[in-house]
Amino acid sequence: MQKFKETLLTSLKAVRAFFENYYVRRVLSALLTIILIATVTFLMMHAIPGGPFSRERALPEEIIEALNRKYHLDDPLWKQYLDYMVGLFTFNLGPSFKRTGFDVEELIAMGFPATAKIGLMAITLIVVIGIPIGIISALRQNRPADYFVMFIATLGVTIPSFVVASVFIYVFAGLLNWVDAFGLNRPSSYIGPTLALVGYSLAFVSRLTRSSMLEVLRQDYIRTARANGLSRFKVIYKHALKNALIPVVTYIGPMIAAILTGSFVVEKVFTIPGIGKYFVQSVSDRDYTMIIGTTVFYAVLYVVMVLLVDVAYSLIDPRIRLGKKSE
Amino acid sequence: MTMPFQPNDFQFIDPSQRVDNEQVRTSLTYWQDTWRRLKKNKMALSGLIGVFLIVLFAVFGPLFTPYGYEEQQTDFANTPLHVEVFEIADDLYVYLTPQYRLLVVEEDGTFLYRLDQTSLDFANKQFHFDYHGEDIMVDYTYKLYEDLADEGIDYSINFRGVEYKTPYDVTSNKTFVLGSDNVGRDILTRTMYGARISLTVAVIAAILVLLIGVTYGAVAGMAGGRVDELMMRFVDIIDSIPLLLYVILIMVLVENTGLNTIILTLGLVYWVGMARLVRGQVLSLKEQEYVLAARMLGVPQPLIIWRHLIPNAMGPILVAMTMMIPTAVFTESFLSFIGLGISAPQASLGTLANDALDAILTYPFQLFIPSITIAFMMLAFNFFGDGLRSALDPRLRKG
Repeated sequence: MQKFKETLLTSLKAVRAFFENYYVRRVLSALLTIILIATVTFLMMHAIPGGPFSRERALPEEIIEALNRKYHLDDPLWKQYLDYMVGLFTFNLGPSFKRTGFDVEELIAMGFPATAKIGLMAITLIVVIGIPIGIISALRQNRPADYFVMFIATLGVTIPSFVVASVFIYVFAGLLNWVDAFGLNRPSSYIGPTLALVGYSLAFVSRLTRSSMLEVLRQDYIRTARANGLSRFKVIYKHALKNALIPVVTYIGPMIAAILTGSFVVEKVFTIPGIGKYFVQSVSDRDYTMIIGTTVFYAVLYVVMVLLVDVAYSLIDPRIRLGKKSE
Repeated sequence: MTMPFQPNDFQFIDPSQRVDNEQVRTSLTYWQDTWRRLKKNKMALSGLIGVFLIVLFAVFGPLFTPYGYEEQQTDFANTPLHVEVFEIADDLYVYLTPQYRLLVVEEDGTFLYRLDQTSLDFANKQFHFDYHGEDIMVDYTYKLYEDLADEGIDYSINFRGVEYKTPYDVTSNKTFVLGSDNVGRDILTRTMYGARISLTVAVIAAILVLLIGVTYGAVAGMAGGRVDELMMRFVDIIDSIPLLLYVILIMVLVENTGLNTIILTLGLVYWVGMARLVRGQVLSLKEQEYVLAARMLGVPQPLIIWRHLIPNAMGPILVAMTMMIPTAVFTESFLSFIGLGISAPQASLGTLANDALDAILTYPFQLFIPSITIAFMMLAFNFFGDGLRSALDPRLRKG
């Protein structure tokens, strides 16, 4: 009996330790968020007055009934919800209401490559250009190069992506005829969408890198390192950069969000057959299964990306993993 | 040993000339100090001037234009910023629109009326118009044949047997200063009304965000403990996907996309940032001695929040609100741009840009004018907000 009690206690302790682990907690909360968002989206779409088949010109009763039966909308709400949740975890998001013959997950799979390509190019561009620009600007503080970069960065933060996209089309496709005005058929077609997509984040990352670099360069340990005879190059790239990049890493989450939502506009303007375009179209078509599907897809993509960033971040900075829950 | 000073070196002075009591520096209140530092910041000041100008443009601009925002003059649709006036007879001036319509205009380019088209000869690229029984022929063959391409013109106008190849004058568009759109509405007027709607949405949404966010944040921060944790967990969950997705979902849900729904939706979604900020402020401020003193004097908690905590957190709250305005302008134009915004005939800047997108290669100015206005608006508010933030930042405060 005594032994059983001890075993129980130790196993309970193990379970508790398991749940107190940073990574486990983080994964669980991500999962919970996804379930919550799926639920909220589901309920919102079912709260629409009149249901998905209400039109300006009313359809005959029998047709609506038949449609409801076809899409299982005559089932009780809890059963629909259960089916939907099960479908979600088995990647089965149901048929599209407006594009008959297509399932939502098929459409998402069709659109994803284009969206992912542009998104990845945008992220690469932000890292490869944004961070060095910020560093250069910080090292040349209050000189013409710095002013120039910060002026451009401020413009980048404030000019909406659809303006960048349409000006790009007008100048490079319309006036100069260097690139195609729509689609992704040639390598040069990627330039416009990527530029329009990175505008905000690129500018933000370079501003963030600059200010964080300036902050770090003022620290005592940098002066000490210089005083000890380390070269300027070594101090900057070995000592300063590591710490200066920490705030930049935290921006990755919002950056992914900006790129995801930016893809709506960019894919619309450049007529790229990506998820963003499908999403915007499903919104104007009121294609409810498609709206739910893409929203949940975006949410999952975002939550998973942020989770990965957080895990990577905790590996870089142990204070996060070992610290208290929040604050 | 000689004394450095003799008693005679000193003399009594009039008490009014005493200088020891004079204050070296006048003391400034918080807001006076902020204003003093804001004035020194060139970027903030230009932002403030920009905000002032855009408000002037949006609020008072429509009073000075002769058109209403939905007033259509379909005869004069899609006119550009510059018009080429041809003089084809004494006191008879005509202008050919990009849509191949022939308008009779005044000498300075003001549009009078549209001429009826009598025949279209597509094969020979010659269009005929009727002027009080007389025939005006517009000849497009210059673009058609190689040997005529040297002339370097697109068309010529023929009237009473004379061919007019070069315009009498190229003037600015007198009827519509910034051109007209595809149904002949004045773009300047539409942009003014668009700016007015965008600003209205942004300002009221920012106020809504302020009300919800401050209340929620102050309650959470003041309550502390379990309540605080629960309330903030809720905020975390909302904040765990891009806020724009909620806005889109709600806008799909409500279907009726008027001004009120957009404002309400923005307010209902974007308060989370403000709530987090206010909670943080309240958490640190409520440990201050003056709060303890107020509590000992028996001041009820809501009054402590209202009279002590919020006024002291006003700086960061104001910055967040200023920054909320460009976010709201952007979100609203974004929504209108993907077809979820203000419905016709009203138009925000985003709707205008969206409407002009289809014809971007032919009439780019229809897109550029609202776009430039949006960018200018966001730039001005961002500059001002940034400046306000650094003016309020205690770390940057000098002596």
